[in-house]
Amino acid sequence: MLYIFCPHCGMRSQNEFSYGGDATVKRPELNKEVSDKDWDNFVYNRKSLRGKHWELWQHISGCRQWIKVERDTGTHEIFNTLKADEEISK
Amino acid sequence: MSSISALANIHSTGRFGDYEGKKDNDILKISEIKNLLIVQIVQFKNSTISTESIDGLKFKDEPMNVACNDDTRILWNGPKNWLLISNKKDLLINVVKAFNEKDFAVTDLSHSRAIIEIEGKNVKEVLKKGCPFNFNSLNINNSINSTYNGIAFTVDLINDNPDKVRLFALRSFGESLYHSITDASLEFGYNSI
Repeated sequence: MLYIFCPHCGMRSQNEFSYGGDATVKRPELNKEVSDKDWDNFVYNRKSLRGKHWELWQHISGCRQWIKVERDTGTHEIFNTLKADEEISK
Repeated sequence: MSSISALANIHSTGRFGDYEGKKDNDILKISEIKNLLIVQIVQFKNSTISTESIDGLKFKDEPMNVACNDDTRILWNGPKNWLLISNKKDLLINVVKAFNEKDFAVTDLSHSRAIIEIEGKNVKEVLKKGCPFNFNSLNINNSINSTYNGIAFTVDLINDNPDKVRLFALRSFGESLYHSITDASLEFGYNSI
């Protein structure tokens, strides 16, 4: 069983969480011209990386907050978790 | 208005499971709790005002924390999110007065929850059968949200000698949760009251 450290609640089972996609995708700035390519990249195009990857998860059966999780997509090892409003350090 | 039982169709009194030859104190007690005031209080993200006390209890923004007195319990449900449970039905008026609409969302959930209370020394064993949370770390006056056999529920540990918990689930999932809990309790024997 995979365990995820929720920054709000503590260590919890993955059963309580729901996967929410890539956490590194940035929305194009509001009120500015957006090209079709940039919009496609924001909405559809994703890399399928093997290795460390920042993801969004929602603690849907717990505190219901969105969090960021750094997970290795090959081994499922989790390295770090952040609150949704915390920036990912490079 | 008194609450209509969420478990009326399935909750029957009597002894069930492996209760023979065991004393009353050695088997579990399972009951349905009704007629409680249940209010969800959520502070909006951009609100910075401090919360007022209700029934002499402060709202603490600490994981698993339950502020309580004899009538009222305030469960931490998430950041700036609490569940107020009380025997005092008229407390809702105080809550609505104390938490203004600009900063808080106050929702009366009294009729949308099924509440099962279990008491006995094997309560945590029953919970462990269907919930992935480490219940050894749950102390008196702690509460958590988790899942039991896939059903989202809230656990509130109101006593620890012997263990006594209240389980809250969405009313529509109440019967499923009741079946899961009573099935898990058969091994220990239970008195349904």
